[in-house]
Amino acid sequence: MSLKLTAITVAFLAGVVPAATAQAADGYPTKSVEYIIPFNAGGESDVSARFQQATWEKMFGQQLVIQYMAGAGGAQAWSQLNSLPDDGYTIMGINLPHTVLQPMEKDVGYKTEDLTPVNYFHYTPDAIFVGKDSQFQTLKDLVDYAKQNPGLVTFSGSGSNSSNNLAQARLDDLAGITTTYIPFSGTSPAITAVLGGQTIAGFNYVTSGVSQGDALKMLAVAADERLPAFPDVPTFKELGYDLVGGAYRGVAVPKSASEEVRKAVSDAVSKVNADPDFKKKMEDAGFVLTDLPYEKMGTFMAEKQKEYEAGAAKLGIAAK
Amino acid sequence: MVLLESFLGALTPLNLLLALVGVVLGTVIGALPGLSATMAVAVLVPFTFTMDPASGLIALGAIYTGAIYGGAYAAILVNTPGTPSSIATTFDGYPMAKRGDGGLAVTLATLSSVVGGLVGGLFLLFLSPPLARVALAFGPPEYFWLAIFGLTLISALSVGNTVKGLIGACLGLLMSMVGVAVVGGDIRYTLDTQVLLGGIDITSALIGLYCVPVVIDLVATRAQHLTVEDDLKGIRLGEALSISWARKFNVIRSSVIGTVIGILPGAGGSIAGLVSYSEARRASRHPERFGKGEPDGVIATEAANNATVGGGFIPTLVLGIPGTPPDAIILGALLVQGIKIGPTLFSAQGNIVYTFIFGLLIATVLMLPAGLLIGKYAYRSIISIPKPVLVPTVAFLTIIGSFAIHSNIHDTQMMFVLGILAWILNRFGFAPSPIVLGLVLGQIAEQGFVQSYLIGNAQKAVLGMFFGRPISLAIIVAAAFTLLYPLVSTYLAKRRSRAAVPLDAVEDAAPEAGRYRDPASLVMAALFIVLGVFAYLETAGMTAMGSVFPTTISAALIVLSLVLVAMHLRRPGRPSPVAGAALAPAREAVGWRRIAAALAMAVWILAIPVTGFATAGLLGFILMIAAASWDRPQAQTLLGYAIATLVLVAGFYLLMAKVLLLRMPPGALF
Repeated sequence: MSLKLTAITVAFLAGVVPAATAQAADGYPTKSVEYIIPFNAGGESDVSARFQQATWEKMFGQQLVIQYMAGAGGAQAWSQLNSLPDDGYTIMGINLPHTVLQPMEKDVGYKTEDLTPVNYFHYTPDAIFVGKDSQFQTLKDLVDYAKQNPGLVTFSGSGSNSSNNLAQARLDDLAGITTTYIPFSGTSPAITAVLGGQTIAGFNYVTSGVSQGDALKMLAVAADERLPAFPDVPTFKELGYDLVGGAYRGVAVPKSASEEVRKAVSDAVSKVNADPDFKKKMEDAGFVLTDLPYEKMGTFMAEKQKEYEAGAAKLGIAAK
Repeated sequence: MVLLESFLGALTPLNLLLALVGVVLGTVIGALPGLSATMAVAVLVPFTFTMDPASGLIALGAIYTGAIYGGAYAAILVNTPGTPSSIATTFDGYPMAKRGDGGLAVTLATLSSVVGGLVGGLFLLFLSPPLARVALAFGPPEYFWLAIFGLTLISALSVGNTVKGLIGACLGLLMSMVGVAVVGGDIRYTLDTQVLLGGIDITSALIGLYCVPVVIDLVATRAQHLTVEDDLKGIRLGEALSISWARKFNVIRSSVIGTVIGILPGAGGSIAGLVSYSEARRASRHPERFGKGEPDGVIATEAANNATVGGGFIPTLVLGIPGTPPDAIILGALLVQGIKIGPTLFSAQGNIVYTFIFGLLIATVLMLPAGLLIGKYAYRSIISIPKPVLVPTVAFLTIIGSFAIHSNIHDTQMMFVLGILAWILNRFGFAPSPIVLGLVLGQIAEQGFVQSYLIGNAQKAVLGMFFGRPISLAIIVAAAFTLLYPLVSTYLAKRRSRAAVPLDAVEDAAPEAGRYRDPASLVMAALFIVLGVFAYLETAGMTAMGSVFPTTISAALIVLSLVLVAMHLRRPGRPSPVAGAALAPAREAVGWRRIAAALAMAVWILAIPVTGFATAGLLGFILMIAAASWDRPQAQTLLGYAIATLVLVAGFYLLMAKVLLLRMPPGALF
């Protein structure tokens, strides 16, 4: 991924965005919408889509039909995105950092700039978890221990080259420590490993900690501000580490979709996001809502792309 | 008091109705290979949003337990596990059906599923919080050893043919590594294609490996698919009850094993079934009957896999950690309903939880009458459908099932290719079950191994990590038992009677032709050596984490193939006067019908993306009916076939597109 290409993408997006009008959004949706989730049912992508589904159907009086197209960490679905109908009634979930890191690594059937996200509506911040009886009560304890014992601190996380993995590498870098990342096949087994004391700590998503109640302690969260669901957990920023990140989830349409369609879908997603009931439920579950509609997509993607490229270099993913 | 209230709460007419409908629906969906419990539960979730939480949960739990049970039908009647949970059901269920005991096998499966489900449910009701700790005590080394334990079953499954069984396992293990590695993130064995990037889906592989050979072999003979007793004894409930009662220890043991393994997130029904099968075989006084239609085998698997339902809910409800994929969806549904899962659930929202658990238990009990009724009907239809319609119907089910998993036609193509390979391999004595075990357990074994190694390495205690943990040690001992037991018992049996007992367990298709050199086996071994070398060379570009397993497995494949070569070279050539008969006599001629059936299926699958799913279905039915018709059919019969074709194709199309809401492949027509 060259910077030049990114720059062109940004320039392109910036050029056309003002042309979009809100008129098409008035009628949308007038019939049921197929919403393809590129992952298996039960994961965070599915759960957040289910939250949207409930609000969407109440708000617009139209069905939001969730379909699954899992495979290759999402690549199976994303490589087919542009062959879908482009009328806005078939939309697809899209995730970061997946859609930036995957094409960087190998030919996965799509390129980052082939995909058209229209709205990134939330993210699940990375966070460090330890068991409730852990000897580490603060991030400082853990970092100090890691300094004295290079490599000994083990972090469980979901998958290799994932957001969890990026965050762990980033923290190593920022704090000048060496820790060992243990990849698991998903958030559930990764959290189980922390609960069972198999690893010393876990770099997981906030959402996975919500259901654990007192069994787990969250040491720090990679968000800009403290989360409403966890007012006592400090952010990494407060503790002096510039670490904000997690898995971002959004909605994408095929490249051929018109500006009106892109805007209409984005507006509908934003409307759901603004629903107080939706907001409360999502936040209680540990999701952090974002306000990244189609208008802001260009800048947001450029910024993230830069960040992930730096992270990828640290993880040793071959940049093309 | 809460218990009684919740019990009454579960007994409302609405909840009873939901439980019954859920069980019936689940059973039907589970019986169709590839349409899984996960899918059934996912489809139902939006409907539960409008229900009261406990009712919604009952519906979801009922459909889930029904689907796990329904998997037994396909396993018994067409040798295809309807869900991975019933892999081990095929080992004895299908042989039973073949010899005319299909109705009995279905009834046994029903009884043991109900008991297993009840045992799991009762553990969930009374012992959830303490049992949830089991999930936490299992770390990466335990998962690794559990997978190894599962693999040792190969030794029992391929007695007398161990080397070929082990080679099959290596093939399965290599297959499990295709795609993006969870640990290390390497992209392995994709041959630079995107098709293989997602890996080989286990369910579609299961369908291909077990079911495609059945379809191909069905057309080869004029005889009916299953032997039918003259008097058509039906479901034989009384007989099944007395058999189950005589084997009550097996039922209970398997149910407990199923519950405990269900508690382990990531292990699931397939491992539960395999482990309890292997335990039942060891405890049995007649281990040599396993794999040839031993009721104990069906009982063990079916009791265990339904017990995983209750077991799986234990970590789901207590820890918020889903024990199985359907649990994950139900967890998501609960979150959307605003119910906080986790340690506080039982105290804060006890009435909902207990109502749900009672609902699940009631649903499990309802499974008995519903299952017996559906079982009777399913068995009747399988034995009474004329072969020319049965063949395309089974083929259609394999296509639907493999497609439905990810709405991806690549999975269907992969299913078919693996099926043809399995059919060829089976002719040369390589049975499908070891391959399947390798495929199912490979990922669990690899992840457990690499994670253990990484953690051990960080703590500077790698050996202690693998061999110093009490649960690990217990599993290692059990695995060693399973591995050595068949060898010891064969030795003892030989000493007792000089008569050599033919012991090959599942390989009824082509038992290794005794003591003579088999040129075909030599050729296969040579191919596997080439494959092993290729797989070994491919590891060069992988990270240390990603390469350790493939390196080991490909080396093992090469060594085992060399052993096979050496074994055959040491044997005398066949003293056969006719050169053509030198190929093992047990191997019957291929015949044009088998080739025609395979080709018809290939055309069918290739036509799907071109013409659309339903049109290709009609075409496929016509081709396969032609390949499977031994007599020139009367006009009236043809009309019957045409109607059956239309009804089946349209019915399943609507089920997939309109009920299960799957994305159908876009084609020119429909």
